[in-house]
Amino acid sequence: MIRKMLIVDDEMEICEFLKSFFEDRDFKVATGHSGEEAIEKAASFQPDVILLDIQMPGMDGLKALKKIKENHPKMKVIMVTAVETEDKIEEAMRYGADNYITKPLSLEYLEKDVRDKIGFFSKTA
Amino acid sequence: MKKVALFHLRTPRAVLKKSLVGLILFFLGALAAYVIPFLLPPDIARVWGRHPLTPIFVITGIFLIAYKPIDRSVMRLLEKYFFHKKSFAQMTLMDLAADLSVNLDLQELSNLVVNTFGEVLHLKTVALLVPDPLQNNFEVASAYGWQITASKRLRLATDVPLIKLIHQSGPHTLVRGLLLQSLSWQEANALSRDFDTLQAGWITPLFVKGKLVGLIAFGALSPDTVFDQADFHFFREFAAVIAKSIHNALVVKRLRQLNLELQDSQSQRFQKTKLNAIEQLAAGIAHEIHNPLAIISGKAQVLLMQKGPKRLEQNVQDALNAIVKQTQKAADITRKLLMYSQGGRGPQDWISLEKVLDETLALLAYQASLDQIEITKTLDPDLPRYYANIQEIREVFLNLLLNAVEAVGTRGKIQVELRCRRDEEFIEILCADTGKGIPEEHLDRVFNPFYTTRHEAVGLGLFVTKQIVHRYGGAIRVESQVGEGSLFIIQLPYTAEVPQVKTAETREKLASVSGAGK
Repeated sequence: MIRKMLIVDDEMEICEFLKSFFEDRDFKVATGHSGEEAIEKAASFQPDVILLDIQMPGMDGLKALKKIKENHPKMKVIMVTAVETEDKIEEAMRYGADNYITKPLSLEYLEKDVRDKIGFFSKTA
Repeated sequence: MKKVALFHLRTPRAVLKKSLVGLILFFLGALAAYVIPFLLPPDIARVWGRHPLTPIFVITGIFLIAYKPIDRSVMRLLEKYFFHKKSFAQMTLMDLAADLSVNLDLQELSNLVVNTFGEVLHLKTVALLVPDPLQNNFEVASAYGWQITASKRLRLATDVPLIKLIHQSGPHTLVRGLLLQSLSWQEANALSRDFDTLQAGWITPLFVKGKLVGLIAFGALSPDTVFDQADFHFFREFAAVIAKSIHNALVVKRLRQLNLELQDSQSQRFQKTKLNAIEQLAAGIAHEIHNPLAIISGKAQVLLMQKGPKRLEQNVQDALNAIVKQTQKAADITRKLLMYSQGGRGPQDWISLEKVLDETLALLAYQASLDQIEITKTLDPDLPRYYANIQEIREVFLNLLLNAVEAVGTRGKIQVELRCRRDEEFIEILCADTGKGIPEEHLDRVFNPFYTTRHEAVGLGLFVTKQIVHRYGGAIRVESQVGEGSLFIIQLPYTAEVPQVKTAETREKLASVSGAGK
């Protein structure tokens, strides 16, 4: 079963390498670069899991998260953050984020976490 | 509790005094009756002898005219020669009153009062209690003949029978024995408990303008020291003088406290705004750095995880691994910086420095034993608790000790000492090591950020330590001799533990404890 992932980060390069990494692992990946795009693609693309950057210009990840969780409560969202600012992480958890990871990312850990969240254990590259 | 027994007039000593005056006057009169005829011219002397009642008339006349002045001077003489000690005592107490009026320090004042009373009146115990408005009770300002710990613990709630009685009876001295006789046994029972708490035979309340500003509890008297009404009158007057001084000192103390609190809150606000700016800056920098690091590290990881035919050669993999590892290290630095900038936001409380030191030593024990480093600690037996954010103090100890462990390397000694310099109102943390020492030209740089002599270290430890110490208004310095070791000295200013900064929870606990004791 092909899993769908939405990656939202204002940094193109980050989206790019994450996309190639997860596509190598048989994910179907879409990307976005802002909070607005995240909400829009969550609705149109219907991903199983979203990697959502917190700090983005315009609508930030937290606002997008709140909206997404309202519209699609079952969608898994993993927050990605450059700085572990406690209050922001707390806020994200309150809005229903499923986990958070900090940059620089350990892809190994991220992959494991994504698979945990979407109940996807059998797949090995 | 309507009846209030105050003090008794007919003490044995007063009776003795009066009878002595009578006796002397009688002898003077009798002497005059026999001496006068010899002094008079012969013709008048004959008239004197003619009637047997004449001498009696003369003596009665002398008595009537001279009683007052003789009584007064005889009393004075008696005071001087037979009750020498007491008039000396009164004079000393008068001197004390003069000293009191120029002193504004509550502690000094109280010490002066209790010590003078104790010494001069030969009392077993004397305690001076002043109200503590925040705790709603009376605490011992100074005590004579008491065990220090017992006097420190002593608290008298404002609603106990004794204080209620004092409010009713005003500035009169209350004598235990007489007072208890005049009350019903329930009242006497309740009251005697308060007297027992204060170890008091009699109590002189201190009033200023109808307000109770304190009380002096005089220890049980030995049987031969009994005071008469004049003495109690004297005490009452004297108490008024003490009361005024104590009142002034209390006002000054409260003002000083308020002033300190004000300064404290101002500096805290200043620091908070400053920290917020630093924090924002650090968060911004961390964000800007972590994104590129994430890209570098992420791309390297993607390459590393390629399998099968795309698998990279070992030397390339090694290089990529190094890239991933180093980006992680770089991120750790910014994270530390960020954590530093967020420091000081944690809650502050009264903490035991000894406990924090022990925790830190426990962390390092294993490393130290591996390196054969002997760590010893010396503690001030009555080190006061310190008002601080425990996380920050942990960091101070950890950085200090880590630095010492690194400096020693293997085989050596580290000595940590905590001591309180009460006279200068600071706590000193000393950390001496037998390490390699710091060359003189580097001494002023050891607290700089990123200064390190170790290849794998970041060099933020002592910098962060210095920042924390400065945040508490303290100072850190180092003395070092190359090849012999270094000594780091941290001085943290402290203020005596005052109840109002305690958390609400501890205050409640205290209140319930003092309430239960009553």
